[in-house]
Amino acid sequence: MNLNGLKVLICDDSILFRKQMKDFFTANECSSILEVASGQEAIDAYKEHQPDIVFLDIIMPNKTGIEAINEIMHYDPMAYIIMFSSVGTQQYLKDAIFAGAHDFLQKPFDTCTVVNVIEKYLSVKGGN
Amino acid sequence: MYAQFFGNYLLNKELVTPEQLIDAIQCKQDIHLKLGVLAIHRGFMTVEEVEFVHVKQTQVDKRFGEIAIEEGFLTKQQVDILLNEQTPDFLLLSQTLVDKGYLTMEEFQASMIEYQSRFELTDLDFANEQSNKVNALIREFFEFDEVNDDLKEMLYCYIILLFNNIIRFVGNDFTPFPIVKIGAYPITWCVSQKITGDFSLHTAMDMDESTLISFASRYVGEDYKVNDAYVRSSMEDFINLNNGLFAVNVSNDNAKTLYLQPTLTENDVLFVPEAPIYYIPIQFTFGTVNVMFVLLDQ
Repeated sequence: MNLNGLKVLICDDSILFRKQMKDFFTANECSSILEVASGQEAIDAYKEHQPDIVFLDIIMPNKTGIEAINEIMHYDPMAYIIMFSSVGTQQYLKDAIFAGAHDFLQKPFDTCTVVNVIEKYLSVKGGN
Repeated sequence: MYAQFFGNYLLNKELVTPEQLIDAIQCKQDIHLKLGVLAIHRGFMTVEEVEFVHVKQTQVDKRFGEIAIEEGFLTKQQVDILLNEQTPDFLLLSQTLVDKGYLTMEEFQASMIEYQSRFELTDLDFANEQSNKVNALIREFFEFDEVNDDLKEMLYCYIILLFNNIIRFVGNDFTPFPIVKIGAYPITWCVSQKITGDFSLHTAMDMDESTLISFASRYVGEDYKVNDAYVRSSMEDFINLNNGLFAVNVSNDNAKTLYLQPTLTENDVLFVPEAPIYYIPIQFTFGTVNVMFVLLDQ
């Protein structure tokens, strides 16, 4: 998978998950990878860098992923955001989709699942 | 899971010393073959299929065989063949203790008969780790006083899930000890996470630095050498994974909604919550992990 030219924003308070995601994107030729550790930083980074795709954790200190996606979608309704959490209940899934997420990933990190959501993103963008 | 509890039983009876038990658990660990390894060896599954099942186990609380059947990688008959090939963990531990001369065959037989009788276990139960009697054994082993029945049931579900996840993602070389109830706890290196919603629970795992590094290394499959941010993040990832699966189980089985709060790592502080702390010492071959629970809204 060649992701050259894609600008990605990864937001999670877990340094381990950020590293796993960063390693994945680096291995797939993506050179524009932004990483932040809180919801507020995600909002600020989105406004400053306008990434193509955002990976946003739901459970974070200070400002949750749901609060962050609400602000980002208010700023840019076309933002492409994928939310993730270790809790794969219907409630979390509904909260994420209702807030405007395009997809939902269950943690921990799994390469195949990330590939699937990126392929979905590429097919959506390719169709536009 | 019988081996882990039988080890504690032998310790209580003073038939083996803690050092002998840890030594035997370590040796047993080297011999024990996981179902996935046996499946590849038999040609029943590919490496990729086994890896798929392992990833799936981080998302749903199911046994290897169950997922492999659901995904069409194995038939029920093949799972039975593999389970028959896999020497029960309990027998491996006992055999190792006898081989090392820590326990005579007579002592082993007598203690096994007494243990089986006390917990109403048959030989078939020992050979079948999937027996519901494992759950009954856990309920008898861990006693929560002054906790209402509904919450007690949730705590047992949590403990059973935690032990399963430790075995799946860290290793089965441990022995648990009974619950201790205290008012304050001096933290060494502790990862914790509050669970809120239809009931509230503060969960935590405390250990010394070398145990932290060993536990995190095993969980992530890295060879961490120092206690850095990645080690602590790996431990937080483990408790987050366990609690995430717990929230899913509780949602599916009890129609209760739970929310996880951000994980937290603390070092060298005194933990003094508003409610009593229930803690379970778990002795691994590489150190001791103290698992703690605090019921926040009893």
